[in-house]
Amino acid sequence: MSWNRASVIGAGLIKMGELFNQSYEQMARGAFDAACASVDNGFDRSSIDAVFVATQRGTLWGQEGIGGNTVPSAIGLNGVACTRIENACPSGSDAFRVGAMAVASGVYDTVLVIGVEKMRDKSAEEGLLARAAGGHPVYTRGESAPVLFAPFATRHMHEFGTTKEMLASVAVKNHHNGTLDPYAHFQYEVTIDQVVDAPAVCSPLGLLDCCPQTDGAAAVILTTPERARDHTDSPVHIAGFGVATDHPYLHEKSSYVGLTATVEASSRAYEMAGVAPGDIDVAEVHDCFTITEILDIEDLGFFEKGKGGIASAEGETSLTGSIPVNPSGGLLAKGHPIGATGIAQLTECWWQLRGQADQRQVAIENGFALQHNVGGRGSGVSVVNILTTND
Amino acid sequence: MAELQLTPRELDVGIVAVGAATPVLRLAVGDVNAAWGRGGGRGLLAVCRSDEDTLTLAATAARRALAAVEIGPATIGGLWWGTSRLPFAEGPSWSTLAAALRLGPAVDGAASTGSPHAGVEALLAAADAVRAGRVDTALVVTSDAIRPALGSANEVAAGAGAVALLIGTQGAARLDSVVGISEPLIDRYRGDDESETRDTYDGRLVREEAYLPLAGEVIEALGMHPESRWSVADPDGRLGSALAKKNRLDTTASAPLRASLGDLGAAAPLAGLVAALAGPGPAAALAWGGGRATALAVAVDSAVPGAEEALGDLRSVGSPATYDQVLRARGQLRATGESVEMAIPPGSAMFVRDQREVLGLLGARCVECDLVNVPPSAHPSCPGCGGDKFDLAELPLAGTVQTFVVNQTMPAPFEAPLPLIVIDLSDGSRIQLQGADDGSTLSVGCPVELVLRRYTIERGVPIYGWKALGANQVEASE
Repeated sequence: MSWNRASVIGAGLIKMGELFNQSYEQMARGAFDAACASVDNGFDRSSIDAVFVATQRGTLWGQEGIGGNTVPSAIGLNGVACTRIENACPSGSDAFRVGAMAVASGVYDTVLVIGVEKMRDKSAEEGLLARAAGGHPVYTRGESAPVLFAPFATRHMHEFGTTKEMLASVAVKNHHNGTLDPYAHFQYEVTIDQVVDAPAVCSPLGLLDCCPQTDGAAAVILTTPERARDHTDSPVHIAGFGVATDHPYLHEKSSYVGLTATVEASSRAYEMAGVAPGDIDVAEVHDCFTITEILDIEDLGFFEKGKGGIASAEGETSLTGSIPVNPSGGLLAKGHPIGATGIAQLTECWWQLRGQADQRQVAIENGFALQHNVGGRGSGVSVVNILTTND
Repeated sequence: MAELQLTPRELDVGIVAVGAATPVLRLAVGDVNAAWGRGGGRGLLAVCRSDEDTLTLAATAARRALAAVEIGPATIGGLWWGTSRLPFAEGPSWSTLAAALRLGPAVDGAASTGSPHAGVEALLAAADAVRAGRVDTALVVTSDAIRPALGSANEVAAGAGAVALLIGTQGAARLDSVVGISEPLIDRYRGDDESETRDTYDGRLVREEAYLPLAGEVIEALGMHPESRWSVADPDGRLGSALAKKNRLDTTASAPLRASLGDLGAAAPLAGLVAALAGPGPAAALAWGGGRATALAVAVDSAVPGAEEALGDLRSVGSPATYDQVLRARGQLRATGESVEMAIPPGSAMFVRDQREVLGLLGARCVECDLVNVPPSAHPSCPGCGGDKFDLAELPLAGTVQTFVVNQTMPAPFEAPLPLIVIDLSDGSRIQLQGADDGSTLSVGCPVELVLRRYTIERGVPIYGWKALGANQVEASE
């Protein structure tokens, strides 16, 4: 039996991109408005008891000490309880989990979970790339984001014969899906050759193996399953979730062909939801780099370890494949506004389960969608949420 | 100059082992001249990569001297280091080198600095410490890697390198006697507020009134056998041959090194002596700089351990570099713009906590499950078993590649391509380090050796740590 003790009644996001003319506050307001407008039977904003806000990098927009008070004021909810959740790339998906637990506890009836990230108020060099100078001054020096994943590509290629073309097939698929998603940052197709021949970013990964730096915001409204019936005839319930951690240094990983945190987090989520990987109809997974999606679809149990590259190349993860992955375009095409990413993925799952995904709608047979993020130093934290339309 | 009687004093200290190191880059003198619109110029200059400096060269040479006789750091009583220019104008230069050599917190010694004469000053201080019974075995390191003033004659003279001697009461060779002289004369110099070393004001003046007469005095006073093999400090590439001709010195061992590496400054006297240490016979060295000339007599009974390898290291061809590459490596050609700062400023508590661990490449070996955890201060709990009892372990400086990447997209002050490598060390422990070259020869499973390098300079503080070099690259570049 699934957990089903909290439900999503509304979800929405703003068009992702380099939103140079929108402030952090304006993006938050846009996402909140979209979520409110999505509630089938209308929504009274004053019914929100608490806000959970996910922002990963306050440092990228000049407010290093950002706390929970920033967002309610910006979205017209001044005075409402608000807490900021920071948990690396899974910040948004973890805020969602915390919001669900807050509702299930009975403390709050209705909560807003909102992810907002301003990535491009700083130049690329002083933005996420500056991560290269963070952490340990010697042992992790130079460890910008692709360094967390590219060593796994090197090793996956070495052990399983995974090719650059197989990695490229992930980018080709997700860019295609992005052209069908009006919210995606990138709206163009790429070819295998374009991906393989793109300039090197962090060998063996090239430019089109990497997600962009994207501004964005997304929001969901959660309430109890009972109250959800008042708002909609087709609520989506939270079937289960899982969080797991792993060691922060790359040199202390037990494997360089998989991410232990993802394996553990998904195992906990499957158990809580009472499902197996084969029951999942659609998945929104963390494809910050092409290799990451290949690791994910193995670590989440969709494919045997080592077979993810071939499965991708053979179209198993396309919109019509055996397990459609990242129909929204994923981080590679939709973008990766870190705190907002998980919420945006959950919004896509919500649309897919309710049959509202237009041209990118996939077949829903069992009524389960999975959302996944992994990140942090050494990819040491992963969150998996499973949504369902089954009561 | 007034007439004076110079008398050599006896040293009688043994040379136990020798090691040497040169930096990676080689710059053609002709390329520097061409950049300034001058024609001609022969020979090469050894130049540091941006992650090498006088300290990293000193550490490599010292480690090789110790390896030549398989003497562990525990038996070293003191470290004497001579270099024209320390990494810190004021700061923990000497103690940083001592920690990188794993010499332990109680080690004795000192740094001599301020001119190319500093190398022999360090050697004499160490020899006197051995003679006095203050230490049994002393490690002497002489090294130089100055930043010469742009467009100066010094720019086509300055090389970089290091030579280390292990000395004690006995040895395959003997420091026999020494004699020195000084006059307050200016040759190459650097003001207290200046970052680059200037050339002499008047080369002819230095030649006629300083170098030739002072060097001649000490050479004559030392009274060597005519067949002695001489190492002669040669600041401009011409003075050495003039001195040799005038005093009928055999400099056939040291002159070729001067032509292929440039003036090694504080390391020059010992570098030129390395060839002589490889076989029996009398030898001598002339040190010069800071208004001082010192001549040193050496008697070689049999080949000094490490001498052949050190000669090979001094003769390594390195990697050719263009003038602009050298300017970038020396920090004399910089892009305008902001540079990304470290998350943790040097001098902060984290550096206090883990500097000895990082410099000495220490790990914490779990007494329960034997897993080695790096760095120790970040691991109060063993990632393997959760245990909390550890023994500090000195990690081996060799291993194989588990996996790697080459980062091509780096903000300043980083330079691409930058390899980052997860390494399985030969004792079974694992570590992540930067690569010390462009990573083009790396592959999964290939062997690597670790070398001390300078990771960055921030707020004036050089940050040192170990890097990995593909084993097939080690010989070619060192």
